[in-house]
Amino acid sequence: MDGARLRGKLIVVEGADGSGRSTQIVRLVDWLEANGHATVQVGLKRSTLVSAELERAQEGNILSRSTLSLFYATDFADQLENIILPAMKAGFMVLADRYIYTLMARDLVRGMDEAWLKNLYGIAPVPDTVFYLEVAPEELVQRTFAKNAALDYWESGMDLGLSRDMFDSFLEYQGRMATQFRRLQKIYGFTIVDGHRSVEEISQELTEKVEAVLIGKNSH
Amino acid sequence: MLKTFAELNFPGRLIAVEGLDGSGKSTQIYLLKRWLENQGLKVYFSEWNSSELVKAATSKGKKRELLTPTTFSLIHATDFADRYERHLLPLVRAGYLVLCDRYIFTAFARDTVRGCPPEWVRGIYKYAALPDLTFFFKADLEVSLNRILDGRPQLKYFEAGMDLRLSTDPYESFRIFQGRILELYLAMSREFSFQVIDANQGVEAQQALVRQIVTSRIDLESFKYNGGAHPMPMRNNLKTKWRREIIEEPSYEDREAEQHH
Repeated sequence: MDGARLRGKLIVVEGADGSGRSTQIVRLVDWLEANGHATVQVGLKRSTLVSAELERAQEGNILSRSTLSLFYATDFADQLENIILPAMKAGFMVLADRYIYTLMARDLVRGMDEAWLKNLYGIAPVPDTVFYLEVAPEELVQRTFAKNAALDYWESGMDLGLSRDMFDSFLEYQGRMATQFRRLQKIYGFTIVDGHRSVEEISQELTEKVEAVLIGKNSH
Repeated sequence: MLKTFAELNFPGRLIAVEGLDGSGKSTQIYLLKRWLENQGLKVYFSEWNSSELVKAATSKGKKRELLTPTTFSLIHATDFADRYERHLLPLVRAGYLVLCDRYIFTAFARDTVRGCPPEWVRGIYKYAALPDLTFFFKADLEVSLNRILDGRPQLKYFEAGMDLRLSTDPYESFRIFQGRILELYLAMSREFSFQVIDANQGVEAQQALVRQIVTSRIDLESFKYNGGAHPMPMRNNLKTKWRREIIEEPSYEDREAEQHH
């Protein structure tokens, strides 16, 4: 991907459900717009093309791993070509609520071939900055229950058969996801953000980093 | 992976047919299937872009022209992965003769013509084993075009490659698009040891040759049902396939008419 012709910036926020991604994205959008930047938001499972079918497939839990993986890749590519790239060409700030790193981490936890995944997601532009909001699995459980009173099947990695106990499975799965993210961080060099702090503290850190990206201090 | 199912020591075998739209390959594999079934062999048939779940999305994408070369490629890869992991591979492992109307070579040819990097496309299908036997039905472009127009009155948008904007005339576009695909098929023919069948000849002559090659290359006796229930007859047949295609994807002319309203 030729990044030079893309005038906008791509800002990615990664992290588990309950890590505070959406809250932080709302704050980043507010800040960017207050400073006169146009923004666009993308996320997983939001494409016009396959999001409904993907949702349906997950409910039934009938798809094999490569199929689910390719379904997500299709969803991503649809947003990439119809939203992300055109918006960046037009000078918009694109905020991605999760990106290919979540997709890769999920598949890696499920034992899929890393070279295959790298080839598949080779179509994705390298973001200008990536934040990974890291929150300990034990804290994620508390935050999830405070909001939903139930753990999500996929966020608990129940398809992996780690444990019949959903609580145990959630902790084990989120721990494995965190391990993969730490490994990916070494390859792709994104910023690990301590998600245990207050919303304001985290927001301030993200805003400062984004500001640096905008004035070109970031080496990416 | 680049190994055939036989090389992986699986008991089943996979036979694929490839060729341009209108080359007559679907007719040939259907006749092959009937012949094998009539001998009481364990046969399973699967066609390109037929997995139920993925088909809904493909159909929507095609109708509304939402597809780019990348998503066109990925959605077909998703369909293939679904069929491969749930049907093709388990059935080959269970000792079936699996017949495929189009296999990964269709993606290699079509996606590359649409502009996807060839290594990227091949990488996506890397997990799939190669067919034990691949028939390539080589027909002249005009023969293919006439066969399609005999079966139904008009060309379909994607089969004519109209998304590539090669020509505003669907027939001219078909010739250019399918011509490029044909070149890529021929280039792959040696690499993947295709059995090339002259598809300009009559149906019967082609089928006789196909049956002869299958007999010489595959020990059909070993695929006989022994014990257990007799296999369920396959519900999919040629006629329903054609009917469904016509309903699902509007022809180029239908689309034009719609857009002008």
